[in-house]
Amino acid sequence: MLLSRPNILRSLGRTVAPCRSLHNTAWLWCFRSAVSLDKIYPESDLDLTKPQQIPKTKGHNFSGYVPMDKVQVTYSRSSGPGGQNVNKINTKVDLRFHLASAEWLSPELKEKLATKHKTSITSDGFLVIRSDKTRSQQLNLAEAMDKLRHLIYTAAFVPPPPAVEDIERARRRHEAATRERLRQKKLRSVTKQGRRAPELS
Amino acid sequence: MASQGTEKALALLRRLPRVSLGNLKPNPGAVKSARRGRGIYGGKTHGAGSKGSGQRQNFMRLGFETGNTPFYLRFPYQNYYKGHHMRLSYAPLCMGKLQRMIDTSRLRTDVPVDITQLSATQLFSINPMEKMGGIMLKDEGIDHFQATLNLEVQWATEAVITSVERNGGTITVAYYDPISLQAALNPMAFFKRGVAIPRRMLPPQNLIDYYSDPKNRGYLADPTEVARERFVLAQKYGYELPDIRSSPNQEMLLERKDPRQIFYGLQPGWVVNLEDKVILKPTDPELLEHYAS
Repeated sequence: MLLSRPNILRSLGRTVAPCRSLHNTAWLWCFRSAVSLDKIYPESDLDLTKPQQIPKTKGHNFSGYVPMDKVQVTYSRSSGPGGQNVNKINTKVDLRFHLASAEWLSPELKEKLATKHKTSITSDGFLVIRSDKTRSQQLNLAEAMDKLRHLIYTAAFVPPPPAVEDIERARRRHEAATRERLRQKKLRSVTKQGRRAPELS
Repeated sequence: MASQGTEKALALLRRLPRVSLGNLKPNPGAVKSARRGRGIYGGKTHGAGSKGSGQRQNFMRLGFETGNTPFYLRFPYQNYYKGHHMRLSYAPLCMGKLQRMIDTSRLRTDVPVDITQLSATQLFSINPMEKMGGIMLKDEGIDHFQATLNLEVQWATEAVITSVERNGGTITVAYYDPISLQAALNPMAFFKRGVAIPRRMLPPQNLIDYYSDPKNRGYLADPTEVARERFVLAQKYGYELPDIRSSPNQEMLLERKDPRQIFYGLQPGWVVNLEDKVILKPTDPELLEHYAS
């Protein structure tokens, strides 16, 4: 019997069929049961290597995406107790990038960062974040990334304008306070006048 | 020439009719009559024994131990034992040990590394009958892990997934029921039994969510969603996700088992004959349907 592809398929039975996009390469035959991934997710293309859309940053809306090739990460030894491990292993992470020339941030965000977080910016214009929280370089880098995102989000945060009811409430309270203050003032004045000697007209 | 006993047995098989309910009876003494004993040998105590609550037909309640605290009341009900019979434990494997196994050539990285490969290193004792689910990967040594491999374990945390993916590898968590796990841990011993490869069962209710979650890289999760989670994790931990498509090991890294499969390249229903070095496959459509269900 010829061992061509259709013949192999027929001899192995209908449970064996070409894999749908579990690989992007050559045709491979594999076993597919009733609970295989293509039966559980019939509309999906089942591609583990699918390239992802990079979210864009516009204006004050930071997408959260930080391109790692535009950011410089250096490792050094951490401080504090820890014996041989802290003496030898580079667990401290230093994350920096030049703020003015960062294309992945919008001009508005850069301005906000420069004003709000100027203590984190060096004289050369580099925004620096350091982390030596944990014993692991990997986790420290994650912490540094989290700090960076927090910096950007807090800088980008524009508090919403106060609601009409809140403005109204504030105005009423202010007027009530003024009225009360003037009333107390009047009362005090009357008391003080009563202590004076009567005027002889 | 077969023995006389065998010959007689075979002769019986040839001439006797098919076994049915109409020509079966229990062995003498197997079934005890529910009736009260009568007559000389069923008389005197009439099957009720001597004195006590048994003879006086005033039976003690089930579990009563004539006054002392009975066994079923001796142990208090504690909430921390709730569901203990369903909880699985896993043999720990830290990333440092995994790297060492690879560096000392105890583990191959050119083939997908699953529980069978890890068990073949003979560095773990996993007993499925003692409610062990397999192997779990631990966080220690994540900074020193440098290998690129296709890993399949039973439990993995986020930091472990990161350390595997940042080096260009892939990781999946997969469930093996006790029988499948026993087969996977020692395939040669399983094949020597000469039984058909069973279907791997799906996870129980308390684990199905874990294994369907793309964040955990579950084997029942949608690979497209897993791709998205890989990207998100790379951003969280601050590394560029290596492109698997341009890797030379692309095929090996993306190789996955079907949820019902125990061994790579072998289907449920097949019988592996190690002696004659052949694989026997079922041809009956009913069997094929069952093993593919």
